[in-house]
This record gives sequence, C-alpha cells and structure tokens, in this order.
Amino acid sequence: MIDTDATGRKAAPAGSRARPIDNRALIRAGVIAVLLLLAIFALPPLMSGYYTDTMTQVAIYSIVTLGLGLLVGRVGLYSLGQLAVLMIGAWVGARLLFATSQPYILVLIEAGLVTMIIGSLITLPALRLRGLYLALITLMLAGGVIVVAATLNFPNGGGGFSGYNGALLHIPAIRRPSYAGTDPAFYRFCVIVAIVMFLLVFVHLRTKPGRSWAAIKQSEPAALAAGINTTVYKMWALALSAFVTGVAGALLAGADRELFSIDFPIQNSISLLAVVLMGGAFSLAGAVIAAFLQAFLPALLQIWGVPNDWLIILFGIGVMQVLATAPGGIADQFPKDMKRLYGLISRLWRRPPVSRPEAVPASGGDRP
Amino acid sequence: MPSWAEFQPYIVTGLALGGLYALSGVGLVVLYRATGVLNLAFGAVGAMGAFIAYSMIQAGDPGWIAWITCIVFAGVVTLGYGMLFGPALAGRGPLVQSISTLGLALVLFGVIDLAWPTTGGQSPSISFPTDNGGFSVGQLTVNWTQVIALALGVVITVGTGAFLRYSKLGTAMRAMANDREITATLGVPVRRVEAAAWLGCGLLAGIAGIMLADLSALDDTTLTFTVVISSLAAALIGRLRSITVTFAAALVIGLVHDLITPITQISNYQDMTPFVLAAIALLVMSRTQVMTRSREEG
Repeated sequence: MIDTDATGRKAAPAGSRARPIDNRALIRAGVIAVLLLLAIFALPPLMSGYYTDTMTQVAIYSIVTLGLGLLVGRVGLYSLGQLAVLMIGAWVGARLLFATSQPYILVLIEAGLVTMIIGSLITLPALRLRGLYLALITLMLAGGVIVVAATLNFPNGGGGFSGYNGALLHIPAIRRPSYAGTDPAFYRFCVIVAIVMFLLVFVHLRTKPGRSWAAIKQSEPAALAAGINTTVYKMWALALSAFVTGVAGALLAGADRELFSIDFPIQNSISLLAVVLMGGAFSLAGAVIAAFLQAFLPALLQIWGVPNDWLIILFGIGVMQVLATAPGGIADQFPKDMKRLYGLISRLWRRPPVSRPEAVPASGGDRP
Repeated sequence: MPSWAEFQPYIVTGLALGGLYALSGVGLVVLYRATGVLNLAFGAVGAMGAFIAYSMIQAGDPGWIAWITCIVFAGVVTLGYGMLFGPALAGRGPLVQSISTLGLALVLFGVIDLAWPTTGGQSPSISFPTDNGGFSVGQLTVNWTQVIALALGVVITVGTGAFLRYSKLGTAMRAMANDREITATLGVPVRRVEAAAWLGCGLLAGIAGIMLADLSALDDTTLTFTVVISSLAAALIGRLRSITVTFAAALVIGLVHDLITPITQISNYQDMTPFVLAAIALLVMSRTQVMTRSREEG
C-alpha cells in the first residue's frame, strides 16, 4: 500500500487505520476538489493577462514535475534529462499541430506516445544500470537533445521534416483548440489536462505498477527476488513519465504559440530536478509545489525586477538543504514545521500547568 | 568529405581538448573512488575560478597570480563543500551525494551570471603567453598551450596512478574505495583522506577551468556543462574506476569532437559526441553486468 504522503503514514498508528484514514481521505479529496474548482472557475476572471499566462505555465509544468517526481520519488530513478523529454514533446506537438488539422486532444495523445517511444529508446542503454549511471546518461541526453534542437529548430510553419523555415517573415502562431482559443480558456484547458494526467499517475500508483515501483525503490535485488520484473517496471515508469511529459510539451506548444530552442537552457534541466526535490518528490502535492517554484517564482521575480539568477542560486541552496536535512521536501516538511510551530505556540500559551510538555517531534532527516 | 589536410589542425586541437578532459575525468574518478561522490560541480567551480582570474587580469594583476588564484579558489571551494556536506550526506549513497553537488553547481552558475552578466559585444576571454609561441610539424602549427594541455593530461594521469599505487595517502584512498568502514577501523583518518581527495579534485577543476577558458571559451554554460558532460562521459567509459581507460576515452572524445568540425553535414551535432560515445560504451558494458547489493546502489 502506498500512501500519498509520508505524514499520513506516520501519524496513523498501525492498528486503527481503517476509519480515520477514510475520513481524512474524504476530507482531503473534498479540499482538493474545491481548490481545483476555484482554480478553474474563480481564478481566471481575477487574474490579469500576465498571471493567466503564468498560471498556464504552472499547470503545464505541474505535469512535468509530476512525471519527474514519479521517477525520483516512487522508483528512485534520478533523471536529469526531463527537460530534453519536454523538448521532444513540444517539438512533436508543434510539428503535428502545423502539419495536420487533427483535434488538439488527439495531438496531445500522439505527442505523448511519440515522446514515450523516443524517451524509452534513448534511456534503454541506461536502464540496466544502477541509479548514478542513469542520472549521468540522462544529463548527457539533455545536452545532446539541446544540441539537436538548436540545429533543427522548432517548427514554425515551414515545410519538410523539420517544419522550420528560417526565411519566414511572418511566423504563424501554433494553433489552439477552437474551444480554448483565448488565454483564460486555454488556462482552463491546461488545468483539466493536468488533472487527467495526475489521475492517470494516481491510478498507476494505487495499482500493481505502484507496488512494484515501491519494491524496486527499496531494493532492486529484493524486488527481483520477489518475482518483479524490474526491467519491465522501470521501463514502464520511464514510459509513463515520458508520456505525461510529452503531453505537457504539446500543451506548452499551444501555450507559447511559438517555440525557440533558447527557451530551454540546459541549466533548466538541473533546476527541474532541484524544484522536484524541493517541492517533495514523495507526494503528488509536491509536484504542484514544484511547478509553482519552477514557473510562478520567475514570473514574480520579473515583476519585482530581481534577476532570475537569484532564483538559480536559491534552487541550488534549496536542493543541498533538502538532500541534507529534509528529504521529503516542502510538501513533507511544511506540515511538520507548522505542527512544530503550533506546538511551540500552544506551549507558550499554557506554560504554568504542565511541568514538562511532550517532546516536539524532531524535523526530517530520518530517512536513511 | 573534406580532404585529409583539412582534418589535420583538428587533430592538434582535439588532442589538447582531450588532455584537459582526461585531467578532469581523472579528478572525478579519484574523488568518486575515495569518497563515493561524483562531483558534478567540477565545471562550475573551474568556470568561476576562470572568471575571477579574468577580472583580475582586467584589473591589471599579473597573469600568473590570476591563474594561481583560479586554481586555489577552485580547490578551496571544493574542499569547503566537501567538508560541509560530505559528513552530512555520508551514508546516503553516491546518487544522493552526487545530486547534491548539482546544488553547488547551480549556486555557482547563478553567481557567475550575476557577477559577470553576458552583455552584447566582446565576450570575455583569457589568453596565455604560450598561445603565441609554438612549433610546426609539416604544415601544422602547434602552440605551446596545446602542448601543455595534452602534457598535463598525461602527467596528471600517470602521476595520479603512481600516487595511488605508491604513496601512503594514495593507498588509503584505494582502501577507502574498497570499504570505508574497514578502512576506518584500521586507523586511517577517513575524514582527512577525504579532505585531501576533495582538495585534489578542486585543484584539478581549477586547472581545467583556466586552461579551457583559453583553449575553448570563457563562457559559463560551456565551462559548466560541456566540460562536465565530456569528462563525465570519459569517466563513465572508465566505469568510474580505471583512470587509464578514462584517459584514453577522454582523448578519443576530444579527438572525435574536433575531427567532426570540418564535416559540415554533421558538424552542428559535434557536441553530442560525449553522449553518443558514452551511450555506446554503456550499452556494450551493460551486457556483462552482474547485479549485486553493493554500495554503488543509490
């Protein structure tokens, strides 16, 4: 059984799981549903064009961080090449949108599938290797794909395989679905696609693949001994992650309307992993937090006039801090810190009667 | 297909580049064997050192002081990181420890971009006095910097091999590569040996940074990522173990990378060389992989 987050697992004593968990799960589902409804219906009229664009990016990047969090947190595969996968998805999506007049949703699925196939083929050599090797080969992959993208360029309505025409004076915008042509409508569309992707991953986590991934993460030899086909399930995780990231890429093509390879600098490949670790790789909520870190903070800094480099520095410090002291990331750490704060405040409040208040649980770092 | 004469100059530049990749790869492998950490901030540390040296030269300091500052800076920063985060992350496995060095890389990358913003116009560069002198072989001209780069690669590889084989500290490092716990029980000061490995790796990063700033370009993205990726590929082909194989692989990567330049059809893709070579090597090697519950598992 895989819990959505570590706090739930720790808080509930082993014996009395059934009823309180049910209640809590219901409450949690209710809160999530309300938040999502707010995000879809209440938010667009309140936001300016700038924030609508930003929140669209957040929705799209939440799919990317979802895919990476799945690999890192659930299977223990550290991928540094997720940006490359996103680029492949965006390229395929843009190419298909220019070349065909298929419905947008069909293009999303096709881009996801093509990305899945390419991503799986490329990571195939590293699949049989242990963690560190996979991380390294994916870093090189990111470097390689960025080189290819810089040469091939993103499609801009030209002909041929690459769909790029450098001599084009008027670059046509990448099309959006007819029912989501405006920015707020496309934002809603992105949120809904993101919800579908989260559900897709959630279903995987709650069924056999999720259990197999958990076993592989604990120990690959043990999982193998338990009869789990580790190669197939690792491949499965990579394929699923590449699929959702490919879908996100195709969404990105529609959101940005024109794509350039300089929009995907190689340091983003690393900062993506950094935000996923900071947000919390072990929970789905962490993916959303990571998306805010990745896509919302830069927009905010731009308004404040702070150079984006500060953010890179912050991510660097954050990833070191998270790995050293709080492996669960913000999604795991924030509730703990709040609980601690609450404990501290309530201790101040009623100091006289209690001789020695119960010990405050220590912060993270208990994961081996 | 270009003629042979067009390839010739790229043999020289390729070997020089390969020598520096070899030096970097050896630094990475030694640190990895001694501490279990793959220092992914290797390039960033060298890049920052090179930028500091550039600023010092601009300010009028003599060149050699700037070069030494670059090397010392890289050594100190790497040592500082190792002292600070080495113990905190010890026992978390090589994967987590290596990912953590990416944090350092990001921090340095951000600082470089802040302190030396890329402006239009002339880009910063570093040149050695040895760039101008040289000799010629046939029609080829070879400058001394290129000779130094290749020589450094050879000297560092041979020197490190001898150091690991014959010196007491080197023996301790090899012992730690095998088993950290047993080494500690034998009375080896584990922390101090690790510190030495971090310092050594940092100094090599500084040397690689300043040399590449001259031979390649003083550009933060290139120095931070291209260098790390190329030398990582070499180290990977050496299975993060053999410095001889790493050296050979680095030379091949440098050579292939530069020899592609005149072939216009694929010259745009030359930066993919390390990835392609490492992927092929991994594919071949993984055929004989044995799964064990070793420390290497993340």
